Amino acid sequence: MSNAPALLEVCELSCRFGGLVALDRLSFAVRAGEIFGVIGPNGAGKTTLFNLISGVTPASGGTVRWRGEPIATLPPHQRNRLGIARTFQNLRLFDGLSVLENLLVALQRQPRSSTRAGLLHGPSHQRAERQRLERAWQLLEELGLRQLAERQAGTLAYGDRRRLEIARALATRPAMLLLDEPAAGLNPVEKEGLAELIGELRARHQLTLLVIEHHVPLLMRLCDRMAVLDFGVRIALGTPEQVRRDPKVIEAYLGGAS
Amino acid sequence: MMDNGLLVQMLLSALLGLSVYLPLAAGQLSLATPAFYAVGGTLAALLSTRWPLLGAGADGSFPLVSLLLELLLGGVLAGVLALLVGRLVLRLQGIYLAISTIALVEIVRVAILNLPFTGGAVGIFAIPQPFASAAGYLLPALALLALAGWLCHRLESMPLGRAMAAIRDDELAARCIGIDTTATKLSALVLSAALAGSTGALAAHFLNTWNARQGSFEVSVTTLAFVILGGSRTWLGPVVGGLLLTALPELLRPLGDVRLVLFGLVILLGPVLFPQGLITPALLERLGGRRRPRVEP
Repeated sequence: MSNAPALLEVCELSCRFGGLVALDRLSFAVRAGEIFGVIGPNGAGKTTLFNLISGVTPASGGTVRWRGEPIATLPPHQRNRLGIARTFQNLRLFDGLSVLENLLVALQRQPRSSTRAGLLHGPSHQRAERQRLERAWQLLEELGLRQLAERQAGTLAYGDRRRLEIARALATRPAMLLLDEPAAGLNPVEKEGLAELIGELRARHQLTLLVIEHHVPLLMRLCDRMAVLDFGVRIALGTPEQVRRDPKVIEAYLGGAS
Repeated sequence: MMDNGLLVQMLLSALLGLSVYLPLAAGQLSLATPAFYAVGGTLAALLSTRWPLLGAGADGSFPLVSLLLELLLGGVLAGVLALLVGRLVLRLQGIYLAISTIALVEIVRVAILNLPFTGGAVGIFAIPQPFASAAGYLLPALALLALAGWLCHRLESMPLGRAMAAIRDDELAARCIGIDTTATKLSALVLSAALAGSTGALAAHFLNTWNARQGSFEVSVTTLAFVILGGSRTWLGPVVGGLLLTALPELLRPLGDVRLVLFGLVILLGPVLFPQGLITPALLERLGGRRRPRVEP
């Protein structure tokens, strides 16, 4: 595992908003197939990191490499097409669309079909639509949303919304999935289920995962390696065991004596 | 009470309503429809009065084929204009986009008013007629509306239409699932412009004269009212809104001046009583008209 090539490489990445330094020369690499966790107190820059990797926010400095190629200048949709998908901390579903339609939007390039065939309802369009529907139902099944397919996304319960967002991200066939606090707002039972689900999804979709989480015990159990951020700076990096014993981490979480 | 001329006008309004609806279906409030309408109308007026090749007769007649060619050219010219302008203005969001499209309407209006060949304030008159009476215009107007309706209907089950719906709900999320939002919004604006351009070309012949006032800011407001009253969540909304709001003043004519008050009340109470417009997807579902994607076992 340790010799696997880096899928995502973040190098000296910085992000400043005016005078505020949200991320300060952050570096780490995520290897193909691993679950990499990012923890840190509120305001440590975790979500900013996700925004920089997915291209939603421009970086102030540093580079992001995907399979060795710099991607810092690409817009979000192109990064997604390269294989990076994400969820959002404050859930961003297409509330006016049905659950199934939320997935069909994300499946529009799986497979692609021409506009002309679509207008004329031609056979190639129908075939592509069938494949999209099949894949959408498969994902709904996997995430236990089958019964809710026809419901409007805005009317779902919180836990279902979380899973629908994961399904929508998976629909774009990512190699890497960025999960922004997937356990936030879930009850203990749902949290247990989530840990299991993430493991299953990784195996079935050959995913590499980058996970931000406040619920540290969950992440400790789930992750192969993790980074700890505090005020935009990486204060620790390693296996959960190494991180747990790191005095700087303990200080950041429990507060220093001085 | 409802003569053929009014029916044609209602259909033209429905078409303009759809033109406002298309960008709105991608979450973009564009008020540029009158600009594209004016471009199409001016092009048709110029071509048919100045270009003998189209075959305008000395008695004011005009071949049907030439009319169809003008509809096409009007749509293409407006579409190209939208492509050029859209790249700039679609960087703006919400109210800023709306204001910049109002500016476009003004620029086009002032240009048509002052260009040396568009007839100034009087405009271009004696535009040749492909049909002997107003009834003749019903068929092309209906055909254009059918074409536009079919396009909007097909869009709903196509990647482009779904991408538009996604952008309307959450543009950032749409970008993060691989949707090229710039290209999608631009496509919606170009479709909207082409539709308005063709409608303008047809209207120029129907009205017989054409001047800069046809594409004024007032038209922006009226066409937006079609969408607000009819509803912006399904393409049938703006069609119904356009038909209704154009017919209403005429239907109320026997009531005298009270009709203006009633018309104002409809505009005022419509959005209050039907905040989502008269025609909503929920309503269509109840009527059994709209089918969701088929449920596979």
